[in-house]
Amino acid sequence: MSISRRKFLGWLGSAGLGATLGKNADAASNKHFTGYPDISGVLFDNTLCIGCRKCEEGCNKVNELPAPDKAFDDLSVMEAPRRTRAGEFTVVNRYSGVPDAGGPVYRKIQCNHCLEPACASACFVSAFTKTPTGAVTYDESVCVGCRYCMIACPFEIPAYEYDKALTPRVTKCTLCHPRIIKGLLPGCVEICPTEALTFGKRKDLIRLARERIQQHPGRYVDHVYGETEMGGTSWLYLSGTPFQKIGMREDLGNLPAPLLTKGALSAVPIISGMWPVLLTGIYAISKRKEKIAETEKAQAINAAREQAEADAKAKLDAALKQAQKDKEKEIELQVKRALEEAAKAQSEAAAKPETKEESDG
Amino acid sequence: MAEETASTSKIQITPFTVVSGIILVIGVVLTVLRFTGGLAAVTNLSDNNPWGIWIGFDLLVGVALAAGGYVTSAAVYIFGLKKYHSAVRPAILTGFLGYALVVLALHYDVGRPWRLPYPFLVQQGTTSLLFEVGACVALYLTVLFIEFSPVAMEWLGLKRARNLVVRLTLLLTIFGVVLSTLHQSSLGALYLIAPSKVHPLWYSSYLPVYFFVSSIIAGLSMVIFESSLSYRYFKDKMDPEHLAEKDSVALGFGKAAAFVLAGYFIIKVIGIAADNNWDYLSTGYGAWYLVELLGFVALPCFLYAVGVRDKNLALIKWTSALTVLGIVVNRFNVSMIAFNYHLPASERYFPSWMEIGISIFIVTIGVVVFRFIVTRMPILYEHPGYKGAH
Amino acid sequence: MAAIAFLAAAILSFGVPGVQGVQQELDSMEVMRADLVMIDTMKTFGRLERPPVVFLHDKHTEALLQQKQDCNACHPADEKGRQSHKFKRIEDSDPKAVMDLYHEGCITCHTETATAGRKSGPVTCGACHLKKPTVISDSQPMGMDKSLHYRHTKTLENKCEKCHHVYNEQKKTLEYLKGQEGSCRYCHGETKVENRIAAQQAFHQACIGCHQQRLAEKKVSGPNECSRCHSLEDQKLIEVVKDVPRMEVNQPNVVFVKRLQENEPPPTPEENTLMQQVPFDHKAHEEFNNTCRVCHHANLKACVSCHTLKGDEKGGRVQLEQSMHQSNAGQSCIGCHNNQKVQPECAGCHENIYQKLSGDTNASACLACHMEPMPVTDGSTQQPAELAALMLESRKKPPTPYPADKIPEIVDIGVLTNQFQKARMPHRKIVQALEKKIQGNQLAVAYHGDSGALCQGCHHNSVIAEKPPKCGSCHGQPFVERQPVRPGLIAAYHQQCIGCHTRMGIEKPAATDCTACHEKK
Repeated sequence: MSISRRKFLGWLGSAGLGATLGKNADAASNKHFTGYPDISGVLFDNTLCIGCRKCEEGCNKVNELPAPDKAFDDLSVMEAPRRTRAGEFTVVNRYSGVPDAGGPVYRKIQCNHCLEPACASACFVSAFTKTPTGAVTYDESVCVGCRYCMIACPFEIPAYEYDKALTPRVTKCTLCHPRIIKGLLPGCVEICPTEALTFGKRKDLIRLARERIQQHPGRYVDHVYGETEMGGTSWLYLSGTPFQKIGMREDLGNLPAPLLTKGALSAVPIISGMWPVLLTGIYAISKRKEKIAETEKAQAINAAREQAEADAKAKLDAALKQAQKDKEKEIELQVKRALEEAAKAQSEAAAKPETKEESDG
Repeated sequence: MAEETASTSKIQITPFTVVSGIILVIGVVLTVLRFTGGLAAVTNLSDNNPWGIWIGFDLLVGVALAAGGYVTSAAVYIFGLKKYHSAVRPAILTGFLGYALVVLALHYDVGRPWRLPYPFLVQQGTTSLLFEVGACVALYLTVLFIEFSPVAMEWLGLKRARNLVVRLTLLLTIFGVVLSTLHQSSLGALYLIAPSKVHPLWYSSYLPVYFFVSSIIAGLSMVIFESSLSYRYFKDKMDPEHLAEKDSVALGFGKAAAFVLAGYFIIKVIGIAADNNWDYLSTGYGAWYLVELLGFVALPCFLYAVGVRDKNLALIKWTSALTVLGIVVNRFNVSMIAFNYHLPASERYFPSWMEIGISIFIVTIGVVVFRFIVTRMPILYEHPGYKGAH
Repeated sequence: MAAIAFLAAAILSFGVPGVQGVQQELDSMEVMRADLVMIDTMKTFGRLERPPVVFLHDKHTEALLQQKQDCNACHPADEKGRQSHKFKRIEDSDPKAVMDLYHEGCITCHTETATAGRKSGPVTCGACHLKKPTVISDSQPMGMDKSLHYRHTKTLENKCEKCHHVYNEQKKTLEYLKGQEGSCRYCHGETKVENRIAAQQAFHQACIGCHQQRLAEKKVSGPNECSRCHSLEDQKLIEVVKDVPRMEVNQPNVVFVKRLQENEPPPTPEENTLMQQVPFDHKAHEEFNNTCRVCHHANLKACVSCHTLKGDEKGGRVQLEQSMHQSNAGQSCIGCHNNQKVQPECAGCHENIYQKLSGDTNASACLACHMEPMPVTDGSTQQPAELAALMLESRKKPPTPYPADKIPEIVDIGVLTNQFQKARMPHRKIVQALEKKIQGNQLAVAYHGDSGALCQGCHHNSVIAEKPPKCGSCHGQPFVERQPVRPGLIAAYHQQCIGCHTRMGIEKPAATDCTACHEKK
């Protein structure tokens, strides 16, 4: 196919432009985001938790969630470990048989409201927002239902309304964002009878947690879970028993989730820029090679033809010369023969003069 | 199952049409169930396992196996390997159908499919690799559509339009390779965000590279595989150029596949070394990983090389089937087997028969449409009105 | 067709690898043994090239016993006939020699045993140098207590010289000096110091050595297997003698705690800045503890011999005050008393995490021990020792709680009645139950036998009074920024009541049984 140079460059430009549409990604940099200042958080102290499930009840009431199959004061549901589900933003699990615990240990599970949430990073319609209050909120009006947030969350928190055909939503704890911006307490915190949950500014909660550990070193594991895990979370945990024994993963690392995909995303613009140039270059080289091959082929053909012509001409000349020579020889021969015959005839005629008076000559 | 000319509008009663008809009917029923009962009515998806075979197979495998489109058109138009020209249109058709079916499958999997355009029109989540996948797949489907359109135009007799579009070929090919690189690798990069959930042998920061390189392998192998199937069932539609070139396509693509498989093997081993994951190889998962690496990467590499050296076309065809299977195994491994490896057996995922039914339904649609197009439009032959006009 | 092949592969690939979680695999493989010895001898020579070897000692002694072999098979004796606790050597020589010793010693025996057709140990490198050992040690420390010591003295007919010795610096020998017996640990520390072997070696040499000998002589003896001393289960089986007669080592009965060293003259009345003396019932404290080492952690002398007033090198620069009062050191008076507070009878009040008992920091706490002196007329600053007994007698008064009619019988807590009706607290019953608990305990009576002090358990952070303040006087709204530590009123009630019940092991009313304390509205 043949296109003019101008057209080609024009298309290349538009291809490059088109390749950059909708592929913005933050360039790699040394900036370190330490979170919004003054964000709130919740501290859960499991040495104070008695496993009464009032927090589940409070959450259910405040968020107007559907009534559960078993009432909240039915503690037998804790016989099996549970996870958050559609309509259950938070659950309390009981862990019996933890060594050196002196009884069952409880853990409240809900969204940890990470400082740099994996769900927000993963969502391709930005349905999750880390608000300045610290709460990570979910906007159901844009959610497409791809469930990538559920893949991304390292704490396995978001749940989905699989049984809804037309309006399924992702569900998770909202840190009672509508309430906390009005100065109210989150539903679970307000109802907890033993204040195992403390609401306050995250930096104050960390200080409080450290204070408790310092004052009662034998009582707590010397670690505030959530201070650095996955880059830090707004929900913090104090425990009297090792975190791993109560189902909290200690192998998640301190890297915030968005950093895990930063490398791959940063490759997008560079590929968009480099690939067209590279591929066009390869095309140009291959086209050039083709052209050179064709020219060489044409040249070879020409050379061969010329050679053939020259050969033919030479052959013809030689043949003509030969023919000329032959012809001359033939003429000579004929002349010689004629002369010999004439001579012969003359000698014969001289030998018989009387026989024929009349000569025809 | 030899096909007769299908220019009549009557549907013939053959085993193929009966079986595919049954599948299509079941598929429609399941579709109704899906959209009246929600995902719970049809799938075994759960809060711990939000992605099942509709993502693991229909999306991941589908996109990988449709990679023949960009690989073939790059080989012919960018690298100038004109002798594979006859393979371009079938590859583009496979690619176009493949991506179209991926989008169809997404309509089943996603909770609110009518909102699929939202990331482009309403609100962008540009920190998300899924945004990257969506944008590139949408653009690439458009590219494939445009690349395919000359076929339809030739069939419909729209000469001027067809000639205009064909002049865009090089541009579209380049654009297609860029987009394919981006979305093939981004599909692998989707799992970068969940290191705690993917088994260390399959999790690597090189996941995007692995997915991209294996997509090239998938594309090359699918072209060989499909061309052998097309020869078996649509031989009478193939024109002399096609018939003449098809062996060299198998040999050439087989050789390329051997090289790329060797490279893929090397970078996978480098990945294990970089993370010092050797100890995992001696576990149960490690054994399975070795099956994938040795049986579905090293073995086909070797078999392709032998097949090309000995010009053994039958071996190359079987190896292409093995390689395609290997791609399926790899995508399944990353998305469903190595994923959530840390959960107890009772919480692991296995697809429901209805999910499998929908996947089969979608594949069947693809096969039926492919057959429809190949038997009517100039895919396996050149339209007489445009001979030599490429 | 191909589609079927795909499906087959797809379905197969789901079932293949162990779909069991990784965590489960690990947990199921851990075995706990008390006889586990980690052979990491090469550590003394530098960094380990291979992981330490897990060695199960009892398994080997059993196996050797079956072959009629004893400790000498592996542990040689030195020139004095003492058995080495090292493997096939007395001392560590050079790295290669030691490593070869182990390799040859272990692998040869394993190979021979296997050849003889018996169950044997591993012979390959990785099978001994396990990267991920599946056996974990649950070996418990072992020690002498009064009961065990008594059983030994009885069996050995009070021949103390059989175990106790001191080192004579001049003669460079060990000898027995009557009256100088003490704990082995007073001289033998964690590591070997010149000639003085480490405690572990000393114990095994002395104890196991003696046991071995007696077992060989078919006499009554202790065990020689690791688990019989060091496993938790077997320790529970050790016979405990109930009333051990007092060990007579010239210790005092009742005495004033010494503040001055032997040769120090007492201060004159003018320069006296010392605290009031503390009368101390040594005999009673002997009965409170299982071993002397709880207090006499370095020797059997008085604390001040090392922990002087100003602090001394000998005592690690720990001053006398700290040695008596350090709250987190079990050897100090206060430290040990604090440890008593953990018992269920005491924990209800004392283990409350927000508790700041007013007694802790004011003067009256000191007076519990530093009693008001009985008057002496000779102007000296030291009380004669006899007075100590008299002072202690005077302290042994019975507790004097408030009379019953002064203690409210039922306290209605009705300040917050949203979901529930008011709580009717059986106040007097609770107070009297607590009083009963402290009656038998001298320590408790000494500190809070009188009226009012006990009330501080719940009515904390306030002055001792007949009518202590209500909870609501200080506890109000929760999460007040300027008072981050103080719980709100609801939590104050619940933490106090529920917390106390939990700490004291009171199962009824259950913490989650709301209506047990307050009816629903």
